[in-house]
Parts: sequence; structure tokens; C-alpha cells
Amino acid sequence: MIYGDKKTGILVQGATGKQGEFHIGLMNAYARQVGGRGVVAGVTPGKAGQTVHDVPVYNTVKDAMKEHDIGASVIFVPAGAAADAIMEEASAGIETIVCITEHIPVQDTMKALAYAEMEGASVIGPNCPGFLSPGELKLGIMPSNLFLHGNVGVISRSGTLTYEVVDELTRAGIGQSTVVGIGGDPVIGQTFVDVLERFEHDSQTKAVVLIGEVGGNLEEEGAKATDLPIVSYIAGISAPPDKRMGHAGAIVEGGEGDARSKIARLKKRGVPVAARVSEIPEMVRNLFRNYC
Amino acid sequence: MKLREYEAKNVLKAAGIPVPTGVLIRSADDLVPHLDMLGNAFVLKAQVDVGGRGKAGGILMADKATGAKLAQELFGRSIKGLPVNEILAEQRLDIRHEYYLSITIDRSSRRPLILFTEAGGIEIEVTAQEHPELIRKVVANPLMRDLPPFLIRELIGTAPKEIGPVINKLYRIFIEKDALLAEINPLVATPTRIVAADAKIIVDDNALGRQGITVNRDLSEREREAEKHGFSYVELDGAIGVIGNGAGLTMATLDLIEHYGGKAANFLDVGGGAENERVMHAVRLVASVPAVKVIVVNLLGGITKCDEVAKGIIAAGIPQKVIVRLAGTNEAEGRRLLTEKGYEMLDTMDLVVKKAVEVTA
Repeated sequence: MIYGDKKTGILVQGATGKQGEFHIGLMNAYARQVGGRGVVAGVTPGKAGQTVHDVPVYNTVKDAMKEHDIGASVIFVPAGAAADAIMEEASAGIETIVCITEHIPVQDTMKALAYAEMEGASVIGPNCPGFLSPGELKLGIMPSNLFLHGNVGVISRSGTLTYEVVDELTRAGIGQSTVVGIGGDPVIGQTFVDVLERFEHDSQTKAVVLIGEVGGNLEEEGAKATDLPIVSYIAGISAPPDKRMGHAGAIVEGGEGDARSKIARLKKRGVPVAARVSEIPEMVRNLFRNYC
Repeated sequence: MKLREYEAKNVLKAAGIPVPTGVLIRSADDLVPHLDMLGNAFVLKAQVDVGGRGKAGGILMADKATGAKLAQELFGRSIKGLPVNEILAEQRLDIRHEYYLSITIDRSSRRPLILFTEAGGIEIEVTAQEHPELIRKVVANPLMRDLPPFLIRELIGTAPKEIGPVINKLYRIFIEKDALLAEINPLVATPTRIVAADAKIIVDDNALGRQGITVNRDLSEREREAEKHGFSYVELDGAIGVIGNGAGLTMATLDLIEHYGGKAANFLDVGGGAENERVMHAVRLVASVPAVKVIVVNLLGGITKCDEVAKGIIAAGIPQKVIVRLAGTNEAEGRRLLTEKGYEMLDTMDLVVKKAVEVTA
């Protein structure tokens, strides 16, 4: 566990929206399955007194904090309100904030993250699926049926590609400690470096799968910052320069962050890089044979 | 979206950063009334949405006698395949020194990064490679509206003090205009003043609405059509159409096509909630590209309902071959529906991609 466990109480902002309601249901179903606390409070301004799947809704995060012991939160509000939601939660003292919302202007994200940093909060995302520690805690929208409890940490910039990798690992009998989707935007809170640092201090995690994309160089920075054995995969080897491949962060700018040079830099650090997703389980097995 | 040079310069001018005296023309005749203002030596710059226009013949040196004729000539050219509809005519500058100034987003610190060097000009990329020590860098606090003076002093070093206000004004533009990049290269010292000789501003696509920009010019017509449906779509030049959910998975599908020796025709991420109608629109959109011979649909999600997706594919009713890989709820029902109609459904992304590459080989 790197961001919380069964005992972590979750708050959801945007609780009464379609997305919020749907995923409160799924998060609490998972909490029941593993004996966790799950979502204990929701927040939607002006909707205090309502309930969503029996979870009480409050007008503000501070109101909810007065009534409940809350350690983490998930944000489902629209893009125009998401930066404000991050700042409200950080200022109320929530330690771990997952922001699912996509399409937030980068200038807003930069301000909200600088603010959260000042308040000492860790932000995962925006534009991410959250994280899941099998058997302990699910914060976000990952489909829990694909996961298996184990020793491999997974960090990824994408959603469905993460599920693809987790599915491959689980089918191969390789369980996961925590799977974190850090988000597809150019500016995100927790980067590969931050999550790897947490994995280093987590006795459960013995190896890490790092799923990167074109754009930036945070994958290489992460690999540089850890002693944990890593297997990597980088998406976007066929991505043309200056074209944004879905994720706002997945863009090769001025020759920086293209997949081939990223892969070359990782390999130079001794990190094995899979050419295909389906090779990952075998490469992880090799890591265990050689290092663990 | 990248602003055109004249648009970026208008932004600079409004913020109080000096730009060369000039005029935007849409025909050679437009130039005539401005010849006196432009003086003896001026520049004609094609306003096309591509980089490297200078080397491609998009910039011409002109004077009073040759101006109209050269403008006529430039309007008749195509620059890297694009027609010239607008030309910026500007007075030539008496350049004594060229500086480089840019503000961009630093992913690593999550903050605005400001770069300045006294070795500006068109060779900036070479300078960055060979003499990185000549480029001064500072990171700003995005919660502050202005740069603190000490940061500006760190940046300009021994360069003229008049550059200080230009840096702060560009920083404000960067924040207020939702820029991903605000760049002045070169920033020129003439005998009398500091002038932004060229400017580049890229506006965050996620902020176009609040910046009052209604049409994203960086997108092709089909890409804009896709945007209306909420798809991320990029056109490529192969024969294998691709539809996936999630940017990462869709990119990985394209990579796998390349890995097996095929060429993708597009990138299409249908996004969340891939139900019936969305899938139908996605399939029709990709099928409308003439070069597409086969379409790979690769959808994965714990909550994607495979029978819904199958219905969408069938509803699209298109003649090209569609090969499907689906994983999620109601997988068996999805398979039954597709098989019944003669569509092919395979178990893994490796299998669908291999098959598509075979079909187009």
C-alpha cells in the first residue's frame, strides 16, 4: 500500500453527477468485497442532505471533514471546476487527492498543483483513472475484476492500456501491489519519480512495470531515481511529431520526448523495454529470476 | 492551437511589447496604400501554418519598387503544400543583436519555465545542443501574477535592462492567454529599441473556448468532425483503420501495427462510454477515409458492454472488413452478435493486428 489501505475513508467531489454516482457504487462494492471503509462522504455544492448509494452529501469539503474521518478523495467535477476542487480538498487537509477529470486547462492545473503542494497534499492526475491496491483500496475508476494481489507495482500514464497490462499480468499469475494511473496530461501531480519513491518504501513491492508514452522525459527521470527492478513499455513509437495522440501530454514537441529516444535512454540505464504489451509478463518473470 | 505570426504579434503589441511596424495583406493590391509607411526596405512573410517557411520560400525581401510584384509572386506560391492567403509586410529592422526568449511548461517541476539567451536567432536549436550553458533558465511560481525582479535579473545577466519588462509582459501573456508556449525569436536590439521580430504562441486546446477561439485550425475537417463526437482523431497515411478506447491503448495498437510491418490510417480514441451509437459513428468516420482497407476495433474496459459495441459495429453497416477485439462485460453476447453477421472477433490485440496486417499486405 502506498497511498492508503482498508481503513482509508474516501470523499467524492461531484458525488451527485452521473459519473460520481456510478463510481461511488463501484468503489463501495469493492470496499465491501475487501472489508474496507470505502466512500464515506460526497460533496456537491447546494446538495447537502441528499444521499448517493446511502453516502451522505455535503455542500463543502470542510463540512464533510467535520463529520467523517477522511484520508483520500476522488474528483469527478467538470473541467472548469476541477482545479478549484483540488484546492478546496488540499486546504481542508485531505492527504491524497485523485483527479479523474480530463480537459482541464494546463494553466489551471499548474496553479492547483502549486497550491496543493503548499498545503502538503499529494495529487494523482488530472486526467487519470486513479489507483487500486488489490485486496485493500480502490480510488477511482479501474475495473477491479482484472486485478490480483501480489508484489508488482504498476505505474502508467494511461487508463485502458494499464488494464490491458494488468490483465496480461493477472492471466500469467503475476499479482500487483498497487497500480497507479498518473494521468495523460503534460502537467500532473504525482509523476513516475514520486510513485517510484513510494514503491521503494513499500515492503510489498518487489518490482515495477512502468508504462510510459511519448512526450516529456519523466519516465527516464523515474528510472534514474530508483533501485527497484523495472520493466518498461513506451507507447507511441509510431506517433508523428507535433500531433497530439489523444492525451494532451502525448505530443512530441521539437524532437523532445519521442518514443525511440525515450526507449534508448531507458535501455541505457539497464531497463528492459517491451516491444509489445504481451511480452511484459515474461519480462517480469525474468526480473524475479534475476533480482528478487 | 498555434497562432499565426500576425496574431501572436497583435497579442504582444496589445501587451506593450514592441513589434515591427507592418500590415497584413490579403492581396498584392492591399499593399499599395501602405508602401510609404513600410519605407524603403521591408519583408514579406507568408502566414501559413507550417514551420520552416523561410527555407521553403515563404519570406521575401522587398522594397518600394519590387514590393507589389513580389507580393503577387508570394501569393501565387504554395509553401510546403499550403496556399498563401495572408502576407505580413513589415519594415526591416536595423539588427544589432539577436536574443532568444521563451516561456514554456516544465513537466518536471510542473511550473512555467523561462529561457533566455544572448545567442538568439535561427540557430537557437544548434546553440541549445552545443552550448547549453549559454541558455539561462528559471522556473516561476504559477500562483504569482508577475515575475519577481530577481528572477528577471538572473535571466538577463549583462543584456540590456530594457529586456526586463518584455520578459514580464510575455510571462503575463503566457498565463492570461492559456499558452503552452510563448516565444520571441529573435528578440532584436536595434540602435534605438528592443523589438520582437518574430513570435510564436501556442494556445492550450483545452482553453480555446475561454480564449474565444471557436475553430481549431490545427485540425483537418475530418478531425474536427471527430471532435464533435468527442473522439480524439489523427489522420495518418496507411491502409489500416484503427478504433480504440483510451489514448494509450490506441497508441499501443498503432505501434503493434508498425511492429508487424503494417501502416495505420488513423488514430481514433472513442473515449469513455463506448456505447452503440458512438461506436457506429466511429466506424463510419474511419470507413469514410478512401485509403482504409480494413478496420481494427480494439476495445477494452471493465465497464464497456461488448454487446453494445457489437451492435454499434453492425449498425455502421460498412463494406470494409472490420476485425474486432473486445474484452469486458457481456463478451459472449457480443461475439454471438458479430459472428452471426459474419464479422471476425479475435481474443487478443496481437491477433487482430496480425490479421489486419495480413489483409493489407
